[in-house]
Amino acid sequence: MKVIRSFGVITVVCAIGAAPAVAQKKAAPGPPKPQISDATREKAADQNANPDALVLADFQKRIDAYMAIHKDAAKDAPPQKETNDPAKIKAAQEALGARIRAARANAKAGDILTPEIRNKFRRLMYPVVQGPAAQGTTGSAKAVKADVKDELKENKEEQAEEGGKPVVLKVNAMYPPDSPLPSTPPQVLMNLPKLPDQLEYRIVGKTLIIRDVDANIIVDFVPNAIQ
Amino acid sequence: MRRVFLFVLIPMAVACAIPAESVNAQSQVAAPPPQSVPAGKVLLPNKAGSAKFAVIGDTGTGDKHQLAVAKQLTTTRSQFPFEFVIMVGDNIYGSNAAKDFEKKFSTPYKPLLDGGVKFYAALGNHDDPSERFYKPFNMNGERYYSFKPADGVRFYALDSTYMDDKQLKWFEDQLKMSGSEWKIAFFHHPPYSSGETHGSDETLRTQLEPLFVKYGVNVVLTGHEHFYERIKPQKGIAYFITGSSAKLREGNITPSDFEAAGFDTGYTFMIVEIVGDDMYYQVLTDTGKTIDSGSVHRVGKVEPTPNRTAQPIVPTTGNGKKLPPAGDRK
Repeated sequence: MKVIRSFGVITVVCAIGAAPAVAQKKAAPGPPKPQISDATREKAADQNANPDALVLADFQKRIDAYMAIHKDAAKDAPPQKETNDPAKIKAAQEALGARIRAARANAKAGDILTPEIRNKFRRLMYPVVQGPAAQGTTGSAKAVKADVKDELKENKEEQAEEGGKPVVLKVNAMYPPDSPLPSTPPQVLMNLPKLPDQLEYRIVGKTLIIRDVDANIIVDFVPNAIQ
Repeated sequence: MRRVFLFVLIPMAVACAIPAESVNAQSQVAAPPPQSVPAGKVLLPNKAGSAKFAVIGDTGTGDKHQLAVAKQLTTTRSQFPFEFVIMVGDNIYGSNAAKDFEKKFSTPYKPLLDGGVKFYAALGNHDDPSERFYKPFNMNGERYYSFKPADGVRFYALDSTYMDDKQLKWFEDQLKMSGSEWKIAFFHHPPYSSGETHGSDETLRTQLEPLFVKYGVNVVLTGHEHFYERIKPQKGIAYFITGSSAKLREGNITPSDFEAAGFDTGYTFMIVEIVGDDMYYQVLTDTGKTIDSGSVHRVGKVEPTPNRTAQPIVPTTGNGKKLPPAGDRK
């Protein structure tokens, strides 16, 4: 009888031990559902095209438009040159940033990363951030999971260690130079559309930002890119 | 009987209660034993006219560990006058305001900079690409670049965070043009790594390894993992990870088929000397302890080099034996 009771106790203990793992698996969010606007759906139907391809083409068009502003502003800004004085690098960034800010004074969040582009980005990031690779336990899937999670963890630790001003998620805002510049796992970058050399993706908390490297400003962002 | 039964069952119950992740604890992996090399002693040939350099990685913290490695690097240079230092990325961690370049670079390495030592940086995932305009990093304003510090030796700095087609084409064109016997690539993410945290960057390996093999790259220097590791030659190429020159992930090396030597319990840097067809290396800690050394022998024709054969690596201290207990190592 006591033996049976012992087995019972062990079963309960095992169940408690296993519970977090089970709960974690259950908690893993599913892939975001596609959110394609009616206009894009109609256009895709007219052109017999994939709606997602149109969304990405729209993104490219908006990036090209931004780059036209960037290049125009760069014509009048002091050029970035090699220097022994890092303050001059920052000053050149600020000068270009001020010109871009003036040229797109009315820019707002979502101008480049529209709701359907944001949704597409969340779907592109999902496989490595929360999807099968991120849940993987063997081989390269495990490596991707570890790499993505570790870099995101490192970003948090750096922010905690160094303090600095919190990053204001606002279009045209300067990325605070005294805040850590968080890294973006290469696996995430591989899944996102390529940017021109002057721009880059960074992950700030759960938000994916597009940062103008030359001007150190936030071009636009995807909130809750990591859910 | 009942006692025996509980004796067996209680440990089972405890094991069940521990979450699955912590059951499979990774064992620490071997590194060559320090043997009897006196602290700070340089084992390299130290020949006049040879190419001499140091390698550091993941340096830009500005903390006491970076300072300790920098100090040991300076001490080492008094015996082994290296002309330049390769930085394999994460040169400025965290905040990258102007003052941080001083705290995290020019102050720690001031004695070396004052002594005329040049630094050549690659960008890591924590770096702002605008660092390429910082003259002491000698990047010529480029995310990727090459330089030739000595006859027959050419280095290629790559940006492994953004490895795109444009960069790959540039790299291939550079390799095609090169007549140097020694082609050394350096960048941040390791194509081979036994690190538990990151591990091998297999995507990068797929992109770069065919070029390394086709054009006869001899040696690849990387960081990212906060430990030292020497990889067994892969397709004739010698790979080293030196990412613990300021940051350390203790016990992060896991057993792998390709590890030749590893050290994950102390802060390290490498010194290297190229003499003819041999590249000699030595890895020291911030206290001057030698944890690995040996040589890479270059074989094969120079240009073109499509039929390159293996590059044997000959360790002169240790050969990947088990380390003593963690407490005895540093």
